[in-house]
Amino acid sequence: MKPAPLEYLAAATAEEALAALARFDGNARLLAGGQSLVPLLSMRLLRPTAVIDINGIRGLDRIAAGDGVVRIGALARYSALQASAVIRERVPLLAKAVPFVGDRQIRNRGTLGGALCHADPAGEMALCAVTLVARLRIVGRAGRRELDAEAFFQGPYTTALEPTEMLEAVEFPDGAGAEAVVVEHARRHGDFAVVSVAATGLPAPDGSWRWIRIGLGAVADRARYARRASEGLAGTRLQPADVEAAAARCLEDAEPAADVRASAEYRRHLLPILVERALGELARRRR
Amino acid sequence: MSARVTVALRVNGRAYERVVESRRLLVDFLRHELQLHGTHVGCEQGVCGACTVLLDGEPVKSCLMLAPQAHGHSITTVEGLAGRGELHAVQQAFRDAHALQCGYCTPGFLLAAVALADHGVALEGAALREELAGNLCRCTGYQNIVEAIERYLRQAAGGRRDG
Amino acid sequence: MDKLPWLGASVKRKEDDRLLRGSGRFLDDVEETLALHLAIGRCPYPHARIRRIDAARALELSGVETVLIGEQVVARTEPITVLRPFPGSAPTVFHGMAHGVARYEGEPVVAVAAVDRYVAEDALELIDVDYEPLPHVITVEDALRPGAPQLHATVPGNVVVESTVRAGEPDKRLADAAVTVDGTFRINRVSGAPIETRGVIARWAEDTSTLELWASTQTPHLLRAQLAHCLRMDETDVRVIAPDVGGAFGLKIGVYPEDIIAALLAIDTRRPVKWIEDRTEFFRGAAHAREAVHALTIGADRDGALLVLRDRYLIDLGAYHGPLGPPLLTSIMLAGPYRLHDAEIHRRVVLTNKVPMGAYRGYGQAESNYVREVLVDRLARRLGQDPADFRRRNLLRPDELPFKNVSGATYDSGDYARGLERALSRVGYETFRTRQKAWRQQGRHVGVGMSCYVEFTGYPSSAFLGRTGARFGAYESVTLRMDRAGRAALSTGVSTFGQGTETTFAQMAASLLGLDPVDVAIHRGDSQGTPYSVGGFASRTMIAGAGAIEKAAGQIRDKMLRIAGHILDVDPAALEATAGMIRRRDDPSVQVSIQRVSEAAFLGHPLPPGEDPGLEATAYFDPPSSAFGYGTVVAQVEVDARSGEFALQRYILVHDCGTQVNPMIVEGQVQGAVAQGIAAALFEELVYDRETGQLVNGTMVDYFMPTAADLPAFELDHLETPSPVTPFGIKGVGEGGTIAAAAAITNAVCDALAPFGVDLDRLPVTAESIWRALAGARAKG
Repeated sequence: MKPAPLEYLAAATAEEALAALARFDGNARLLAGGQSLVPLLSMRLLRPTAVIDINGIRGLDRIAAGDGVVRIGALARYSALQASAVIRERVPLLAKAVPFVGDRQIRNRGTLGGALCHADPAGEMALCAVTLVARLRIVGRAGRRELDAEAFFQGPYTTALEPTEMLEAVEFPDGAGAEAVVVEHARRHGDFAVVSVAATGLPAPDGSWRWIRIGLGAVADRARYARRASEGLAGTRLQPADVEAAAARCLEDAEPAADVRASAEYRRHLLPILVERALGELARRRR
Repeated sequence: MSARVTVALRVNGRAYERVVESRRLLVDFLRHELQLHGTHVGCEQGVCGACTVLLDGEPVKSCLMLAPQAHGHSITTVEGLAGRGELHAVQQAFRDAHALQCGYCTPGFLLAAVALADHGVALEGAALREELAGNLCRCTGYQNIVEAIERYLRQAAGGRRDG
Repeated sequence: MDKLPWLGASVKRKEDDRLLRGSGRFLDDVEETLALHLAIGRCPYPHARIRRIDAARALELSGVETVLIGEQVVARTEPITVLRPFPGSAPTVFHGMAHGVARYEGEPVVAVAAVDRYVAEDALELIDVDYEPLPHVITVEDALRPGAPQLHATVPGNVVVESTVRAGEPDKRLADAAVTVDGTFRINRVSGAPIETRGVIARWAEDTSTLELWASTQTPHLLRAQLAHCLRMDETDVRVIAPDVGGAFGLKIGVYPEDIIAALLAIDTRRPVKWIEDRTEFFRGAAHAREAVHALTIGADRDGALLVLRDRYLIDLGAYHGPLGPPLLTSIMLAGPYRLHDAEIHRRVVLTNKVPMGAYRGYGQAESNYVREVLVDRLARRLGQDPADFRRRNLLRPDELPFKNVSGATYDSGDYARGLERALSRVGYETFRTRQKAWRQQGRHVGVGMSCYVEFTGYPSSAFLGRTGARFGAYESVTLRMDRAGRAALSTGVSTFGQGTETTFAQMAASLLGLDPVDVAIHRGDSQGTPYSVGGFASRTMIAGAGAIEKAAGQIRDKMLRIAGHILDVDPAALEATAGMIRRRDDPSVQVSIQRVSEAAFLGHPLPPGEDPGLEATAYFDPPSSAFGYGTVVAQVEVDARSGEFALQRYILVHDCGTQVNPMIVEGQVQGAVAQGIAAALFEELVYDRETGQLVNGTMVDYFMPTAADLPAFELDHLETPSPVTPFGIKGVGEGGTIAAAAAITNAVCDALAPFGVDLDRLPVTAESIWRALAGARAKG
């Protein structure tokens, strides 16, 4: 389990990284936290000609709020998200999701951008991005473009990112005042989710919810935003009947697969249970 | 092709410079280039945590980094805890609590614990167990490891208050 | 004999200092200059004919020294020997490398030696192996079907052995029984999974034509014997050294194909050859364990007296009978701690295209405990009895011991019911039952499950092993030598893999020689300079080792007393050795230091007339019988009856391992074994795809070893009934914690879900398996 020969380049700027990507004509990989990439290299499941280390690019890990969004640099590490008051207050869903990612060592290295580009269908960062309709800011030699998270993820481990592009930052809508819950079922602590559910919403003073958004992880080829279930909950008080209906609707967005962690049937069985659990927890936050 | 690169870094306070193949994993670099064998390899996939070292003070898995990524950084391995002198407080706590058996996973746990103390985190019980989930032990069932680290963290926190 | 001063003391471990500093020396820490590094190409198919191997491109790669293929290995070596053949088993020819046909995914097919592991792996990618996939079998049921693919010409029908153990009149008892229950149970294939993988360094000494092999092994001497045989060498020309071993748990016993491959390449290249197993190789090469299917029936009379047991089970051996292979203890311990005289146990060991099975902590005993104890609970339910009451009635009483069980094993001592009662009182069993009812009213499903075990520790004599065909003995041995400074050096062939032998052996020797354990240096794990040794497995090291230490230390002590008597002009019979001194029992002021006595032995004077210089003794001890530990686990779980999720809330183990040499180490051994028991019960399973024959989860990412956050704090309690049949009353302790876990937790889950009538019959117990069982029970209505 040793990587195949490769070239290593440390990019000091985004421009350098992009130039290097272009030079290797799609046969190079960006190396951010490396927590998924390096094992793939070691197992020789990936064998790029070069890896371009972007850890030295200044400012690429910046977390800042303004203009109704929270902008998080692609290189922001999980541990930084965990420590950030801005994230805790304005993107509470992300703050709740981070502890489910890997373990302390992984969170010290792994990055938000790396996780999104890895596009694991069970990944918590993708789940948050899809649930909150994050905007992904992509930079290429031709310029910048932005994609909604749902458009970015195209399938398991597959994204809309071109091999010569780089994810620069992710913009989450400023969710100050929102409540958030993440629930997961996993085979062991820190393991990939069998099913994960993200639920977040903005409570109104009258006890109802202005909006609710539910995200589903590990039940399809990519993280899903449960649109119909979510929209049906806007304005409700998350009464048991509301919750139950939403949980049932979430199944419409689930096309789970079987793997060594669970069968497809069990994932379908668990999904509404976890949705109810998440929404129930959300409702309790209001009381 | 620059398949070889220069890596200059500090390990346990000492400066090293080596030219290595750019694909070389950090853990292999530490073990076989620098002959620091206390950092162990258990899975090369970032699961077991036996290769945990401190990178600029934070625990990371050295099987999940290429050696060139450590260029310009500072690393602490288990050899840096006590050297040949008296055991470090965390090492003593492990000895006292019988928190090691085969000893293969131990360096990783020690460094994870030291980082907790450095952050002033005095965790215990379930919260501490979650914090240690990045290190697998197959011998002890974790119970004595948790006890040793609880004891060490309390002591470290007390030391700070007193100091 | 006076009470031994260090026996029963929680002495801090001698091993710890080096390990805590990162100065332990594990296999991969041994750096040989000019070493070559091995990468091994493994068959990617479960069963395939190897038509051609083309390594030309690999040999052209810079840094590649040589390539070895199966044809060469088969021509130059004997097949791997079996240390403990399952009696009556047909041979499965298992070579260091496959030639012609490979029979499991992961079987070595080609090896590359290169300047480093990176280059060796580069070279592997350049080797073309032309495989013709052959039909495969992955389950024992498939392997037994008429027309199933055959693995070995020597094993018609894929059945390596089929045999029956019968005691009493099982048929009659089954007919007589007022109540019988039966169940079919599937036990998961698991791995001991030490954090250190296997590894080997082979070095050929051209001048002496001798081979030195460093290996991460539990059994340096047995490995040497097997390796020498395979290589057609004289045993004295092979030296095996085990450095610190990073966990073993049974899977590092005996020779493995890679040992042979490394040795051949070292001989060929005249350079040290190192192979460090990576984790993907580990799951496809290191012994798997446990997998079996049992169809068990037990019966009782109307009052709940257990009458009879009948088991028909299939062991999934994998593709070859390895050095240890299928466990014999499954049968031997099926009856457990109960009063049972009638049984029929029919077993078949079946070949499949999977990694060969080997030993794993709890070997056979975890399997038989699981099926019996789960079925005992069902029987109690059928009788309308509380499972605790049923066990109380049927557990053997102390006055019934020694007791020969239906398989011929003789339980030596213990108070089985006391263990049960202690565990039940710890959980507050009576109160729990009341609370449980209240919780049920609230829709909470909390259950308690119990599992009683009796544990076979150590082997009952070399003669016994010999009669059953084993190629090793039951003994252990030590050489003890006093140095000039009055310190002792103890040499043992047992290696250090976490079990604390360096400390416990030093405690024993120190106690017997009148020294402090710090004054006993331990030299271990090297076949050269240690007497013949069997090694560390089967919970036997402390029992057999203590006997050897007692004999060797006794000889040295007697001689020290004679020399001291000469120096002091006192009758040696009036002297004793204690705290570094030899002194008069009745007048301690008449004394001489052990240091001075040792120096006299070293210098050769002053010595009594006719006394030889030196203070050195080698002793072997062959235990006359096995000792049987026992215990009870009580587990408490709460189950979500909708999702199947559950929490293991309490885990109580009360056990008795006889005299404890070092209670701190005993506690650690039990905790570690408990964790592995729970791991195999709830988390771990090696999954093969029946269609492709591939191992689905051969990485640490997908093989779910529990973390600290997945296990509860265990509640342990110790009873201490010295064994009447072993030195100092010691019983083995390393394995017991694994044995009862699966049944206790299964029973707890079934107890929690009793209103639904749920039966669980496979491992691991997962949220999904509980959900399926619930769905099944609901469907049955």
